[in-house]
Amino acid sequence: MLETIAQAVINGLLIGGIYALVSIGVTLIFGVVKIVNFAQGEFVMIGMYISFFLATQLGVDPIVSLLVTMPVLFCVGMLVQHFLIRRVLGLNDLPQIFLTFALSLLVLNLALMLLTANYRTVHTWYSDEALHFAGLYVPVAKLAAFVLAMVLSALLWVFLHTTDLGKAMRAASQNRDVAQLMGINPNRVFAVALGIALALAGAAGSLLMPFYPAYPMVGQVFVLMAFVAVVLGTLGNVVGALVASLLMGVAESLGIQFVGADSGLIVVFAMLLLTLAVRPSGLAGGRRR
Amino acid sequence: MRLKRLGGIALASVIALMLLLPLAVTSSFALDILIRVLLFSFIGTAWNLLGGYARQLSLGHAAFFGLGAYTSTLLQIDFGISPWIGMVAGGVVALAASLPIGWLCFRLRGPYFTIATIATAQVLMLIFLKFRDFAWGAEGTTIPNLGHAPLMMQFDGKAYYYYIALGLLALALAVTARIERSRVGYYLVAIGEDEDAAEAIGVNVPKVKRDIYMISAFLTALAGTFYTQYIYFIDPQTAFNFNVSIEAALVSIVGGVGTLWGPVIGTVLLETTSALLQSWLGNSVGGVQLTVYSLILMAVILWRPTGIMGFLTEWRARRAKAPPALAKAQA
Amino acid sequence: MADALVINGLNKRFGGLRAVQDVSFTVRANETLALIGPNGAGKTTAFNLIMGFYRPDAGSVSAFGAELVGMRPHQVCALGVARTFQVAKPFGGMSVLDNVMTGAFLRDRSPDAARAKAREAIDFVGLSAREGTAARDLTTIDQRRLEMARALATQPRLLLLDEVMAGLNPAEVDQAVALVGKLSRRGLTIVIVEHLMRAIMAVAKHIVVLDHGQKIAEGAPKEIVANPEVIRAYLGSSYAHAPAAPGGAAS
Repeated sequence: MLETIAQAVINGLLIGGIYALVSIGVTLIFGVVKIVNFAQGEFVMIGMYISFFLATQLGVDPIVSLLVTMPVLFCVGMLVQHFLIRRVLGLNDLPQIFLTFALSLLVLNLALMLLTANYRTVHTWYSDEALHFAGLYVPVAKLAAFVLAMVLSALLWVFLHTTDLGKAMRAASQNRDVAQLMGINPNRVFAVALGIALALAGAAGSLLMPFYPAYPMVGQVFVLMAFVAVVLGTLGNVVGALVASLLMGVAESLGIQFVGADSGLIVVFAMLLLTLAVRPSGLAGGRRR
Repeated sequence: MRLKRLGGIALASVIALMLLLPLAVTSSFALDILIRVLLFSFIGTAWNLLGGYARQLSLGHAAFFGLGAYTSTLLQIDFGISPWIGMVAGGVVALAASLPIGWLCFRLRGPYFTIATIATAQVLMLIFLKFRDFAWGAEGTTIPNLGHAPLMMQFDGKAYYYYIALGLLALALAVTARIERSRVGYYLVAIGEDEDAAEAIGVNVPKVKRDIYMISAFLTALAGTFYTQYIYFIDPQTAFNFNVSIEAALVSIVGGVGTLWGPVIGTVLLETTSALLQSWLGNSVGGVQLTVYSLILMAVILWRPTGIMGFLTEWRARRAKAPPALAKAQA
Repeated sequence: MADALVINGLNKRFGGLRAVQDVSFTVRANETLALIGPNGAGKTTAFNLIMGFYRPDAGSVSAFGAELVGMRPHQVCALGVARTFQVAKPFGGMSVLDNVMTGAFLRDRSPDAARAKAREAIDFVGLSAREGTAARDLTTIDQRRLEMARALATQPRLLLLDEVMAGLNPAEVDQAVALVGKLSRRGLTIVIVEHLMRAIMAVAKHIVVLDHGQKIAEGAPKEIVANPEVIRAYLGSSYAHAPAAPGGAAS
């Protein structure tokens, strides 16, 4: 029994690392730009497809293709900020929500049109390998993904706390007006935030390829997890998103193990709704009491 | 004044045209398109009350659509109750459901409200998918075909469905027009603009939101019943389909949120585009329709967030060659 | 007659910041009280606490004998307390008339009655010429007028004005002062937050001074202006012992 739980916990933690990459991106954008990026999942999907094509056409290992997907998506992020997000800053909810929502729809359906709904998988030499210890089964691909996800998260934390640009981002996140008064250029900061967030999404995509299929809708699953983690971890809080993602991974895994194979999602939603019911304070802009 | 008379005549002619249309149009295909236009105009108008006027941007209205569909179908198949009654019952169920759903979701604001509404519709779909005991699970069920049975909302010609859909739309438009002019209408727009300022001048914001959510849910549920009767089939993926939620919001945004005719205009534009796309490309290439929809949505958001109605209003104001303030005071 | 506003031991902290600490004062019916203090003193927080936008950690607020703590802002408004916001919050897409009507609907359900009452309030603040203008197209000072008209349309007995005169030129300040005087003569009780001493002297006989969330002085204008604590709060300790200027106008 203990072994089953431990195994479920391990499984949950490992996938939680991926959720963390996606949710950190969402919370970063929300904290700095004050916009919810509904399209975050679609950029994970793009990362997956880039890795897929690099793997099948050029034989590049998906994890190595991080070196491609991250810079590419970083640039995409800056472009998205410059051409799209910038136009709806300072406007009310409707344009801000529906712009990224439309972007999500667009990217997903373009992928559907151009790449078809077929599942694409990549099989690497380590896709089937696993570590065995203490009666536990740890797939190498998932472990590698988890480790790299944690490394990237740590690098981000260092960036935010030691570099000038990172500190500028945190300042803009806490108080935009004062930050502007101190000479911080918001557009530049936003562009970097978008770039980093999308790069992390792309990284998640690459890390997923060895053990997860790519298909147009794949982003939706991850973005839902991301949103719940962001809410649980408090909006804009990077560490919170990380911790919440790991917790959710574990909860989902335990749910699948003990409630039923298709119950992972229900467990997650239950967590979300429970949180909303019990502790919405600090979980949304503008709710004061 | 002259403008109002012209508007009145235009409205009367449109009503007459709509009533007589099925006599001229007999093609089943064309009637089907018209029915879809009417249905989605109706759903969009229902959404618009909450999402357009009060700016509570729900992307979970499929929850009420599905609840309406399942209520009437369950009553019909398990108890033989006419869908006419089932339709109203479905509305009541949705109205009741909107209370706990609203209580939960309204605790959040802005995009997180939206996400919460998406989550609730998804949860409902998951529940209906999983529990086969009371509602047929994932395979759903078909409605037994009784031929021409008006009392059971089944007809042998599309024209009947057309008139029902038209009636529903008229209902929603009447409700919206009535609300727009009343105290509640002003309160809704105030809430949409600035909830705190509204509350500071005495608007009972939680109550108004609750009330309008109930009305919006009730109406949306009626559409669920109608659609199920129209296609003789129900399953969780169809009843709680995210696309219903999307289209409800989309047509209102494109046509103009917070306006009476916005959703109708938006539906006409989007469904026409969709029909054209279908005839050019057929159904072979998945994702085309939504790609086009999302491009239209993006264009509207970036260039004309007030939608088509907003564009028309500004254009009229400029044409009057008077500053907008004066033109509004005269109208 | 019950006092218009009784604040007793009001406390509110946000995390580590004690925004309002043990503040108590009473406003008599039909009085005009000025609430002053340096920026960040807690004046707007006090308004938010009175209106019910924040819940105090401790203390009580009562208006006309009714306890306000625990009420939602719309209930406080229905009781007869209205406020303007420091940064105006008009309903941008609505016209001036519609904005004010929304306030008038509190007392009159029928659109026609609300419209008539709204027009009265609009006329009172001098915005009649702009009745049909969209609120977002108004100048800043007209938006302030709109805020006031909208608050007045709810027929308050106690009006909280939050820095309505900030950024006005001298002529506009005179107009605003006259408006406040008119309101007072109509029987309204007014609590006004302001920085402009000239305006405060002209409208208020009773002043409460806040600094860092605490009440540091209370009294008639002459006393306040000569009070060393007040001088220190505004200008720093080096001025606290300077003799008061003749005439008492320290600004």
